[in-house]
Amino acid sequence: MYRIDYTDLVGGVLLVALGAGVSLVAIQYYPLGTLQRMGPGMFPAILGVVLGGLGMLLALQALRRTGKRPDIRVFSPLFVLAGVASFALLITPAGLIPAIVSIVVISSLAELRIWPVSLALLCLALCLMAPLVFVVGLGLPIPLIRWPF
Amino acid sequence: MDFFSNIGLGFSVALSLTNIFYCFLGALLGTLVGVIPGLGVLAAISMLFPLTFHLEPTTALIMLAGIWYGTTYGGSTASILLNLPGTPANAVTCLDGYPMAKQGRGGVALFMTTVASFFGASFGIILLTLFTPVIAEYALQFGSAEYFALMLMGLVAASTISEGSAIKGLAMVVLGIIIGLVGMDTQSATIRFSFGILGLLEGVSLIALAMGVFGVAEIIMSVRRVKTADVDPESLKLKAIKPSRDEVRRSWFPMLRGASMGSFFGTLPGTGPSIAAFLSYAIEKRISRTPERFGKGAIEGIMAPEAANNAADQTAFIPTLSLGVPGSATMALMLGVLMIHGVAPGPNLISSQPELFWGLIMSFWVGNLILLLLNIPLIGVWVRMLTIPYHILFPAVLAFICIGAFTSGFSPLNVWMVFAFGVLGYLMRVFRFPGAPLLLGFVLGPLMEEHFRRAMVLSRGDFMTFFERPISATIMALTGLVLIWGVVSAERSRKRQLLSEGEVDHTPEATDRPT
Repeated sequence: MYRIDYTDLVGGVLLVALGAGVSLVAIQYYPLGTLQRMGPGMFPAILGVVLGGLGMLLALQALRRTGKRPDIRVFSPLFVLAGVASFALLITPAGLIPAIVSIVVISSLAELRIWPVSLALLCLALCLMAPLVFVVGLGLPIPLIRWPF
Repeated sequence: MDFFSNIGLGFSVALSLTNIFYCFLGALLGTLVGVIPGLGVLAAISMLFPLTFHLEPTTALIMLAGIWYGTTYGGSTASILLNLPGTPANAVTCLDGYPMAKQGRGGVALFMTTVASFFGASFGIILLTLFTPVIAEYALQFGSAEYFALMLMGLVAASTISEGSAIKGLAMVVLGIIIGLVGMDTQSATIRFSFGILGLLEGVSLIALAMGVFGVAEIIMSVRRVKTADVDPESLKLKAIKPSRDEVRRSWFPMLRGASMGSFFGTLPGTGPSIAAFLSYAIEKRISRTPERFGKGAIEGIMAPEAANNAADQTAFIPTLSLGVPGSATMALMLGVLMIHGVAPGPNLISSQPELFWGLIMSFWVGNLILLLLNIPLIGVWVRMLTIPYHILFPAVLAFICIGAFTSGFSPLNVWMVFAFGVLGYLMRVFRFPGAPLLLGFVLGPLMEEHFRRAMVLSRGDFMTFFERPISATIMALTGLVLIWGVVSAERSRKRQLLSEGEVDHTPEATDRPT
């Protein structure tokens, strides 16, 4: 328990920053037009202000009340997101199968435990199943494996 | 008899072999996803979304809708056997379903909830069939001001009525609209917020957004939290599922009341199956002559909410199909499928695409029948699903999410978008921002901007146009009421929550979130 609600305070401040950013970009780079003939910049500029205003309200409220500890985790997002990133990096140069293996192996580390047998079986099963569904079943042109050299 | 020929047309579409197959697939996958805690409807629909690119729009919708109502059938299984709701809409079913399972009546509970689900769904489908065309016809006279007002009401209701802070909900709606602005502006061909990335010209991919914010973020929050089940197989033998005559007799009226409540709340924006289930449970408990039985395995306590959430699943399609205004994030995804396939949603949908509209609705009968067959004899199979460990499940889900994202444009950019939205979704969970309003804002944003700009052109820049036209003014007034009510009730429930919670650290229920 905290004296003020830090979660909402930080969340609110982030929203204010985001809203301000959106409005500034919209005003600077896109024509605003008039209310009768609105340009492409008008709608985003208004939305940025609204977002910032809501963020401000949230942050002000947070100062007046107690808050709970936020649920921050380190390893789960790290490994899960690293797995997704590895897939994105590998899919074009190396093909589908290396990408699947890397996402499965890296993301499963998020459990902070390794079950080597079931992990190997899972990789094998997915490497058989995914080509069957996507390449054979749906006929999508994805290279299964590609040697980068 | 126009009505009957339409129904005939619908069945002729729904009963084609392809559509039956995909309806079956959707219902099957839906049940699977519903049974397994830690995998939500939105994550499942967005995961299978890329598959639907290669299908006809009608078939695609039939399958996705099957997943949607299938999860509610399946979700009761986890509620009853594990005391863990498979989907938020099944949360109330835990209250009396789990005690029933502990008394060895788990089989009865599973059987009866399936019956209640089917009853509720049928009730909802009938209303859907009767009212959608009427509402659509009325809506044909709406202009841009009315549409803008309607969408605004939908967004405000969805963000303020759902649990949590109204400010956070509204902020997420606005953020969703902003994300929806990325790409080429349809009216002036200006490219907005693309940061020089060519792939963003067409805008942010709805699939990547849904998969990142709901799929990846949900996995991050569930890892090392979802426990594998331990179920007693004895209570599930086929002969253990036969309800007593007394139980059947006591189920009729709760089912009927649940279905009516569910149908009503399903149509309103922002309410939907979870709220319908909660309210119908509360009503059953209040009008019961023996309220002390509730929470200890009262059959009424599972029949009413299960009828309600399934009825709401079906009637949620009424505003989506008749007005083109979705009331929930899942319905927004359905609308997104239509738009990706180039079908314009709105009141013209029924007359311009009768095969799609009637075919979809009639497929609900097919799907619910399939679910009835899938659920009763196969209860044992679904229960075994519960014993798949999460450490096998989540890497597989993640791999399918990435493959799906990649195939939706054959570009790694879409996978990177999933990554970015996974980060956003995780931050949103840390700061306790709701995800559903973001998705709704994203889908409705471009439509709203278009109608807003058009209304302003017609009124020569006068904001009063929204308040001078009678229909639009009524909707605006309702929006204001919803907003005030939402803010007041959110503050009140927050105070109550803080008082009752005291120092307790918050619960590890990452999977139990509103859709």
